[in-house]
Amino acid sequence: MNGSDTHSGKDHLFYRSMRFCGWSGVAAVTFFIIGGMILGGMLPPLLSPDDTAAEFARRVSEHVVAIRIGSVFLIFSFALFGALAAGIAAQTRRFEKAPAFSYLQLMFGACGTAVAVLVAFSWALMSFRPDEYDPRVVQVLIDFAYFLALFSVPVFSGWCLVIALPILFANEGEEPFPRWVAFFNLWAAVLYAPGLMILFFKSGIFSWSGIVALWIPFTAFFLWILVMSWGILKGAESARG
Amino acid sequence: MTSPDTAVSSAASERTKPHVPGELGIWCFVAGDLAVFTVFFVLIALGNGDQAQVFAQSRASLELWIGVLNTLLLLSGSWLVATAVERCRESVQSGSGPDARRAALQFALAILTGVLFVANKSLEWGIKIAHGITPATNDFFMYFFVFTGIHLFHVLIGLGVLIALRRVSRRERLDSKALRTIESGATFWHLVDLLWIVLFALFYLI
Repeated sequence: MNGSDTHSGKDHLFYRSMRFCGWSGVAAVTFFIIGGMILGGMLPPLLSPDDTAAEFARRVSEHVVAIRIGSVFLIFSFALFGALAAGIAAQTRRFEKAPAFSYLQLMFGACGTAVAVLVAFSWALMSFRPDEYDPRVVQVLIDFAYFLALFSVPVFSGWCLVIALPILFANEGEEPFPRWVAFFNLWAAVLYAPGLMILFFKSGIFSWSGIVALWIPFTAFFLWILVMSWGILKGAESARG
Repeated sequence: MTSPDTAVSSAASERTKPHVPGELGIWCFVAGDLAVFTVFFVLIALGNGDQAQVFAQSRASLELWIGVLNTLLLLSGSWLVATAVERCRESVQSGSGPDARRAALQFALAILTGVLFVANKSLEWGIKIAHGITPATNDFFMYFFVFTGIHLFHVLIGLGVLIALRRVSRRERLDSKALRTIESGATFWHLVDLLWIVLFALFYLI
């Protein structure tokens, strides 16, 4: 085996683990569509930051069963981000001698997964006893969920950046992912940025229920998951034994 | 070893082959960013339709000369970048050094136009805020500050890109990979310019 070339050998165990990682991404998007979009009221948002606390408590109580079931799907979806993160880092690692960007990717991916899992916890918790909690507690839990998801820009944009850089720095033919994936990551990183604005607006397009601060980052993110899932599955092909 | 005939004919076909500046990836990025900004432009236009009176009054209170100056600065920057890229391209094709080093000066001047843009915008915002006008004042100013702010974020990234391009252009020998990097970075700067022109029209002119 050529010692300086870590990325072209057949490795069936690697191939199978990467298949798992790639398909985890697809599963994550599917579970989010069921849990966050159809059942859970996360996207489109059931509420708005300028609704009253009483309205928060009322709407959540009204849809409490759907939100609870949705939360179960959400926690599965977000937990699978970890598998996606590992797959991306593993593919990057194949093209490194000593670990470099792959380690950065693991750190950012782990942080992103932890943040996402907290989103699901918060979503579940608010539906636990919405008629017993002080309505302001229900409001805080939803604010918390959206802040975790949207305000965490440096984590998710940073993750995109440390995926893009090793691709752009690589020599021709030695890239862990195709070069267009690097540019897609840079685009996604920029699109998450409006999430920081939710701190400054409680209504309108820059609030956590708004087009610019909610829909654009979420859409970009789930497209990103699909692109990276494809990248992992494609990258695994060369290791197929 | 190519014979003189095949060397000449392959060089000729290289010149006639259509050359996409930069690489596919940067154009995908540009298309994506334009798509998102188009959403912004539509939102501004919708706001204008909804609250025409508020928008007209607020627009009148903007200093047109600041907007025009900013437009001129970015257009000059783009022109400098384009001539710098052309110089680098010639340098790669002819293999001569001095031409490319003049490109470094042009990149430096383009960086200067970008810095002046940032200074001018800060001045404009400072004046507005000193008069108590903030993103919370009304919807026009909310859109104004946030969308020109997002554009400013792109300008800052663009300045970083130009600094990197200047460094690449100062290398002893420019190869086709360096040219690709330079063209990609220049394409991003032209995007920044294009986005400003539309924002300028929507906020200051219409």
